[in-house]
Amino acid sequence: MTATPVNESSVRGTDVDLNTPEQPDLPGGLARLGPGSRYALISTLGYVASLAIFGVLVAVKGAEPISVYHTIIASTLLNGDALQQTALRAIPIGLAALAVAVPARAGLINVGGEGQLIMGAVAATGIGVAAVPGALSWAAMCVSGALAGALWAALSGVLRTWLGASEAVTTLLLNFIANDVMLYLIYQAWKDPNGSGQPQSRPLAHVAQLPKMFGSQLNIGVLIALVVVAVTWFLLQRTGWGFQLRVVGGNTEAARRAGLRVNSLLLSSMVVGGALAGLGGALNLAGVETQLRPDITLTFGYVAFLASFLGRHQPVKVVGAALLFSAVALSGNGLQITDGLDGTIVDILLALIVAVPLVVAKYRRRAA
Amino acid sequence: MNGVEQTLIGGVSGGTAILLPALGELIGERAGVINLGTEGAMLAGALGAYAMTESSGVIWYGIIAGMLAGAVVGLAHSWITVRRGGDQIASGLLLWFLALGVTSVFGTEFVGTAITPLSNIAIPGLHSIPWVGVILFDQNILVYAGYVLVAVIWFVFYRTRVGLILRATGERPEVVAATGGKPQLVQIVAVTIGACLGGLGGAQLSIGYVGNWFNDMTSGYGFVAVAVVLFAAWRPVRVLGGAYLFGIVLAAASVLQAHGVSVNQYLLDALPYLVTLLALAVFARRGRSETPEALTRSLSRSG
Amino acid sequence: MSQRFHRLSRVLALAVVGLLAAACSSTGSSSAGDSGSAKTMVGFVMVGSTSDYGYNQAVYTASQQLAKDIPSVNVITADHVPENNAVTQTMQSMVNKGAKVIFASSYGYYAYAEKFAAAHPDVIVLHQGGFETGKFSPNFGTYWGQAYEPVSLGGMAAGGLTKTNKLGFVYAFPISQTIANIDAFELGARSVNPQAQTYLVNTSNWCDPLKQKEAAAALLSEGVDVLSQHQDCQTTVIQTAKAAGKYVVGYHYDAKSLDPSGWLTGSAWDWTPVYEAITKVALSGSFTGSKYNANWVGSFADNDNPLTLASFGSSVPSDLQSKITAEQTALKKPGASVFTGPITCQDGSTLVAAGKTMTYDEVNNISCLVKGVVGTLPKS
Repeated sequence: MTATPVNESSVRGTDVDLNTPEQPDLPGGLARLGPGSRYALISTLGYVASLAIFGVLVAVKGAEPISVYHTIIASTLLNGDALQQTALRAIPIGLAALAVAVPARAGLINVGGEGQLIMGAVAATGIGVAAVPGALSWAAMCVSGALAGALWAALSGVLRTWLGASEAVTTLLLNFIANDVMLYLIYQAWKDPNGSGQPQSRPLAHVAQLPKMFGSQLNIGVLIALVVVAVTWFLLQRTGWGFQLRVVGGNTEAARRAGLRVNSLLLSSMVVGGALAGLGGALNLAGVETQLRPDITLTFGYVAFLASFLGRHQPVKVVGAALLFSAVALSGNGLQITDGLDGTIVDILLALIVAVPLVVAKYRRRAA
Repeated sequence: MNGVEQTLIGGVSGGTAILLPALGELIGERAGVINLGTEGAMLAGALGAYAMTESSGVIWYGIIAGMLAGAVVGLAHSWITVRRGGDQIASGLLLWFLALGVTSVFGTEFVGTAITPLSNIAIPGLHSIPWVGVILFDQNILVYAGYVLVAVIWFVFYRTRVGLILRATGERPEVVAATGGKPQLVQIVAVTIGACLGGLGGAQLSIGYVGNWFNDMTSGYGFVAVAVVLFAAWRPVRVLGGAYLFGIVLAAASVLQAHGVSVNQYLLDALPYLVTLLALAVFARRGRSETPEALTRSLSRSG
Repeated sequence: MSQRFHRLSRVLALAVVGLLAAACSSTGSSSAGDSGSAKTMVGFVMVGSTSDYGYNQAVYTASQQLAKDIPSVNVITADHVPENNAVTQTMQSMVNKGAKVIFASSYGYYAYAEKFAAAHPDVIVLHQGGFETGKFSPNFGTYWGQAYEPVSLGGMAAGGLTKTNKLGFVYAFPISQTIANIDAFELGARSVNPQAQTYLVNTSNWCDPLKQKEAAAALLSEGVDVLSQHQDCQTTVIQTAKAAGKYVVGYHYDAKSLDPSGWLTGSAWDWTPVYEAITKVALSGSFTGSKYNANWVGSFADNDNPLTLASFGSSVPSDLQSKITAEQTALKKPGASVFTGPITCQDGSTLVAAGKTMTYDEVNNISCLVKGVVGTLPKS
């Protein structure tokens, strides 16, 4: 959405207002469709086509497509455990996706969710393991995680605003550096002396972990994440800062001429984004993993980028997309156990889903 | 053979697996399109080349198959981004995931098999130049292809009309269109040829250098290739330098250790990315004049 | 914008409805396979591909053999499960499907498997490669083998055939299992050739063929003439040795066919007896308190080491072969160990005093490279 020049409707639009009156849908032949309806129809056809392609693919691999679709539904939506796991996995992915969405409002491209998640988890581990564990350890871990993510993203923000280096590229490079930092800590400096050689940090004390809720697998990280999503939505949609970000994202030159402090705004969007991802890394560590290990958020940051894209950088939709991708990843279990497919097949499903909005982007622009 | 020589030999042959995709990425970015799917093109090329060579026994077919497999990824990327107006970064990442999944699902049957990798061809005369000869002129055909491509790309960029149109497309596509050119066609061709070279880089890895296939064998080198282009500020000869430099760092890590010298493996792994970051920071202002403007525009918006 | 959201949600709703329709129409056909009468379901979780010609394929092959050999068992598998909380959900899916026994086969699954066992007392959970230092849940166990035993035999082959007295070892990360393998390799080599030294190169990656090639080439240029490795994929190292006309000692599986004359020998997994023994105990209901409800470690001494000596290549002379098999027999004697003193570390300190033997637990926490290994581990 930030690609389109700023206009009244896109600046004031919200993504939760569902009461806007609509034109009637599909009134007869395709030619008579309005651009909006045509977009809806074409998107739908796109998703159907994606699923059909996936069906052909699994058929080629010797599975029964209908059974595969059934497995996907049964192993994600119709299963309490899976729903809880989907929610837990969606916390780091969703927050890292918001870390893409916030800078995207200002026209920045943050491909660094992976590194920001890692740095969040690293900082949270540092605090959680080093400090004397107490009732509020997890709170300190969340704060330090958010700070570390913010700092990591700020590096790219500074390189962009001071030196003009593309943040899309520097955030990407910083992902690899973050991973090396983490590996060094896990294999060397912070290695668990009682871990019988396992590459991992010391485990968090029980009190330092996020408390579980109502005897379920869910922890209070879910609540924290929901609050943070709401706050992010509020910041973006209802504050002057959010408005200014969109102005900058719409037309930087115009924003500058209008007297906005463009560089501060750009930097602040990266810092807020990085803090969100860092918090995601910390919540995942303190709530789910409880020990730093090499692969705890493997590829989550890149999936998050695609989630933010699928949700068009709008907080509520982005979270929906994160939940969807989280479920897609988990459906891999069922696809293997029930249908005997290769575990990496879910990467293909994810790609096919994201392909649709990319391919129909033109119709959306016309509709908008 | 001494350590320095081995480092340089390994740097050039390993670096070629980065150089070819980087040259491809350079062509696409000069036309204004960034392709993070380069990693995917490499994977597709690595498997395509290996599968074809393994089943046909003809290494030339493998090289062609690798290029075609890469080109398919490039065609998809250019169709999505140029024709359908899709987001470049998202499209690249999506193609990476797609290639990762597809090559993994369909590549399993080739895991554990092996072929004889491309043999080295000593170039008569040049090969006997002291020192330089063994390093540069006793390599496989894809390494030589790298040299030739750098020269050809430089020539096309700066000495031909095609190059002018390509660079103009990367700067001001609307001007190209206004003067009767077809900027979209230029971008599609550039991105496809670029990914074709990405596939060739994958082929250098699978059939050129190691002689086998393994899931996700590119281990992120496609992203290194993208970094090299920025490190090189979009200039062909510097891309060559950057790619070989990364190759040399990789080789040096091994040679130093084999020599009994302890290295910090984590710092060493981070080095290529740190150096690129530093280069971007130092040269960002100076390099900006060289940054294709359409690329800047597509990199400063998303959605 | 809100209109667009409305449409998007409708699109997604349509897609979901379509999926549900597909799901409902198929409930009859898909559930036929998994409700197989009174069979006990056994699940295997793997980190990599079931056809990686390495660690994971060994697990997969043995799991399929288990299903064949014990007809009352129904085996389900999941591969490419990363070493993070995803494995918890995979195990949960297996339990939902009816699994009663789960083998978590990757080293990094340890903490997840242990926790999962504690949360699911009705499911027997086994972890491959871990070592529990605390209390065992009644339904949890770890199993592994003294991997360094066959590795030391491979070292003997290498030491016996090297002409330069330089052996090369490509590894990924300095974890204890790898250090034990490196030490055992050097100790084995030195037992037949006191001049043999092992040169180290790490790759910081369990399978990165480009780095493996650089590592192998660097070792060869250093004068090394036998290569070995501890990586997930071994083809590249074999290929590099083959192209240079040098020797190779393998790991994970018998890859003699790739280079029959350059292949000396190696270590190859055979998990079938272990899986079958554990499954039988689990089926009989006597798991708790059994030797598998503990840290079970197969060894030559007990004749149950899951890591076995691979076949000899054509270059290994018969007197060296018989020396190696004699050593294998010697290691089968109670109390015999590769790590029997006196053994000194690189820095001259004593690893094992004369007459002493390291326990498995001690080897599992080893952090010193023995004398004769060239190159140091990154400092911790």
